[in-house]
Amino acid sequence: MKILIVDDDRINSTILNRLLARDGHAVVIAHDGVAGVEVFKKEQPDLVLMDIRMPRMNGYDAAREIKRWVANRFVPIIFLTAVTDEESLVQCIDAGGDDFLTKPFNRTILQAKIDAMERIRRLHGELRRQKEKVERHQEQLQQEMEVGQHLFAKIVSAGNLLDAPCLKRWTSPMSVFNGDLLVAAYNPAGGLYIMLGDFTGHGLSAAVGAMPLAEVFYEMTAQGFSLSELVEAMNAKLVTVMPTRMFCAACLIEVDFRQKSLLVWNGGLPDVLVTDHSGRVVRRLVSNRLPLGVAALTREDRKMEIMEMKPDHRVFLYSDGLIEAPNADGEMFGLDRLMSHFNGQGQPDIIFDTILGSLKTFRGDAEQSDDISLLEIDCSRAGEEPPGGMPRRSEKGLPPAPWEISFSFHAGTLKNVDPLPTVINAVMSIQAPTGHRERLYTILAELLSNALDHGLLGLDTDMKKTPTGFIEYYSQREERLAAMESGFIHLSLMHEPVVTADGRKIGGAIRIRLQDSGPGFDFNKVQSRLEDNCGHGGRGIALIRSLCSELVYHGAGNQAEVVYQWSC
Amino acid sequence: MSGTISVERAERETVINIKGRFNFEMHSQFRTAYQEDTSKGQKGRKFIIDLSGTEYIDSSALGMLLLLREEAGTNESDIEIVNAKPEIRKILETANFQRLFKIS
Repeated sequence: MKILIVDDDRINSTILNRLLARDGHAVVIAHDGVAGVEVFKKEQPDLVLMDIRMPRMNGYDAAREIKRWVANRFVPIIFLTAVTDEESLVQCIDAGGDDFLTKPFNRTILQAKIDAMERIRRLHGELRRQKEKVERHQEQLQQEMEVGQHLFAKIVSAGNLLDAPCLKRWTSPMSVFNGDLLVAAYNPAGGLYIMLGDFTGHGLSAAVGAMPLAEVFYEMTAQGFSLSELVEAMNAKLVTVMPTRMFCAACLIEVDFRQKSLLVWNGGLPDVLVTDHSGRVVRRLVSNRLPLGVAALTREDRKMEIMEMKPDHRVFLYSDGLIEAPNADGEMFGLDRLMSHFNGQGQPDIIFDTILGSLKTFRGDAEQSDDISLLEIDCSRAGEEPPGGMPRRSEKGLPPAPWEISFSFHAGTLKNVDPLPTVINAVMSIQAPTGHRERLYTILAELLSNALDHGLLGLDTDMKKTPTGFIEYYSQREERLAAMESGFIHLSLMHEPVVTADGRKIGGAIRIRLQDSGPGFDFNKVQSRLEDNCGHGGRGIALIRSLCSELVYHGAGNQAEVVYQWSC
Repeated sequence: MSGTISVERAERETVINIKGRFNFEMHSQFRTAYQEDTSKGQKGRKFIIDLSGTEYIDSSALGMLLLLREEAGTNESDIEIVNAKPEIRKILETANFQRLFKIS
């Protein structure tokens, strides 16, 4: 150890020097306070023995100066003193001294004190190294968090349509990363898909699962897959990638403005509440499925609850963080407090805000213990487009060329698979007319569902006119589809470019032919009737007519042919 | 503030008793409680999770139950959750855990 002796008494310093040198220490000496500070800075010793009364600068001031200079490093200073009165000793400690040694010097005590200081010094050094290590880790963590946040924001909020006019949402993450996932997107036919997911735990580990889920959600919604196919794919993804002890309680909702229907799938979230014009709960959609990521899904698990959507309906969904939010006394917000807002007092438009207000008052400044989300869907605004219009996928924009594709779907396939995404994606990968995906999707959706529902399954559209009939229609559809043993739908699409007189290709025409194995119908009669009553479902032949330049029926009415024109 | 776990082992049965708050802080305690049995790969052992003293359960605790189910051999395992208070039972049922465990 290198030791600095600061003492104007040359005899003292010589004695000390000998004692210390004998124990193997390197010694440097200064004879007053000013020289002491200078030598200290130059030699940087590990320990200082400091006399008090010296010329130029006394020991107290020199000690203060040295301690100020070393700042974070611990260099023990032991005062050498002839006096032992309390006041002088207190002064030593005040000046930054760590110990004192009374004259005349006793070798054993000197050694013991130096050893003790050496132990403290080592401990101090260790502590400082650990502190630096922790700081480095923290720094690194901070940087990783920033990268994570960036990715999270890009992936989870990519094309996020939470600004759809019918949605109101509030989410309060417990930490930087939100373990509650709230996403929304339009499918190509304009149906709004909404999902609230609540991952096990919170923070980064919970948010990591949100990324693959959000990707599947956006991609499949844009491609026009059904909600139950989304559920299947997201579940399969989570089962594969997430550790067993993690899962995602989730609720998926499709708001189909044209069909005036709500499809709901609830796996592990609290009851989804549907209110009427008075703000009373008229329907609860309870969780009847396992959360996502727990086990493989059965056919039953993929089924949606369907309900008729009325303009005065409001749908409320929330994560359990809302009812479990504690106040300062550890009491939870609770279901009763939440449900008191759904009292049927006739102001459904303020429910959302009053819930948040009462939650805020209840929580006070209590620490948040979980992520909290609340979402409202106002069905009266379900038909409004988001600000900036409907999002369009950018397509490859291939130049118009002639092509033809055809599909045959048989009963066994139609029972299990919705052919629509396959067909639309095939068309888009061959021709990809930018901005036309949504219209083509709508036309094909109408044609295919007419062929399946009415042609093959023999369902009657009129049934959907009443609320009970609406539910009946879908339960009959499900029964008949399950029982269907034969039947087919042939679909062909033929494309010809449209060429100007000077040979420029400015677009194309797609001729779509669809034939089903059903008995057909008197199309002269039904055509006009469907056009009359498109008010309820809003769907059907009238819609196809508005999008296509031609619509004709052949045969017994089981063959339809339409032409869709598009321009570059 | 979290709970405490006590374990009673009989020849073919392990009873895991959880008192207080069953949350993410209980992870290693809970795992230690059953791993003595599951790590031996012994088949046919019955696990009883007694929640009579449990005041609160969070989603991490549900995850721990799934982990027990997996480590005990998923489908062949015999895991029963007993004496859950109504509000805790509600949480288990919202997650539809009655499909994976016997809840009584």
